[in-house]
Amino acid sequence: MERILLYVEDTPGMAAAVAWTLRLAKGMSCRVFALSVINPDAPLRRDTQTSDAEERAWSMLYEIEDDAFQKNARISLLFETGDSLQQLISLSTSYDAELIVASADCRLVCAELVRQSNRPVVFVK
Amino acid sequence: MAKISELLPRSAIVLNLQSKEKFEVISELVHPLVAAGAITEESEFVSAIARRENMESTGIGLGVAIPHARTKAVSSIVLAFGRSDSGVDFNSLDGKPSHLIFLIAAPEEQKTEYIMTLARLSKLLRKDEVRIGLNKAGSPDDVVRVIVQHES
Repeated sequence: MERILLYVEDTPGMAAAVAWTLRLAKGMSCRVFALSVINPDAPLRRDTQTSDAEERAWSMLYEIEDDAFQKNARISLLFETGDSLQQLISLSTSYDAELIVASADCRLVCAELVRQSNRPVVFVK
Repeated sequence: MAKISELLPRSAIVLNLQSKEKFEVISELVHPLVAAGAITEESEFVSAIARRENMESTGIGLGVAIPHARTKAVSSIVLAFGRSDSGVDFNSLDGKPSHLIFLIAAPEEQKTEYIMTLARLSKLLRKDEVRIGLNKAGSPDDVVRVIVQHES
């Protein structure tokens, strides 16, 4: 395996998904594409009303990048706007990801991701 | 937390980068920060930047690259900006050369400020009007003016 697409969201379970993905990437010497998607049409969560969703998304990506760098894992950051599920599926094809990883508590409809993607998907809990 | 415009000394704005190669461009941007005393150990900082560049792309697309490093060789968080008319290959995922290059240097212990500066700068540079303004800027003062105008 050479490429993993990690779907990044601001959820409590994200740290476990990041740790698992970086361990796997380091062990298999593969590259991680960390993807964050902002949907401008979606209402903001109550606890992020006053914060800037885009800035938060970038800061999560750079936190993961810094973590990966300390662990000698290769990573590239992707930031997109639009529908999360569609972007994730589309980019998994564009970057020829061999595995999609998401946190088990992500807001994506897990069953829909598995149904629509033609790549293996792992939800980390 | 300091604004982007407050972290970018005018002496570290290079509107006509001479170098064409990534690491030469980085050196060109590091020199004014060494002269300003923000980077205390040039070779250590350049090594840290090179290590990251060799591992991953800091080209974020849209003609923008943000090489960055957090090391003990830096006394305070600081930015440099360079513009290249011909563009520089930063291995961006979109495959396009980078024309606007922001270098970020941060002390080892200032992780939060470093991450937030990267995030705010990335967000800022996704705005078309900011990139257009930076491409048109005729002086370091113009560059700072564009940033001040668009950063919240």
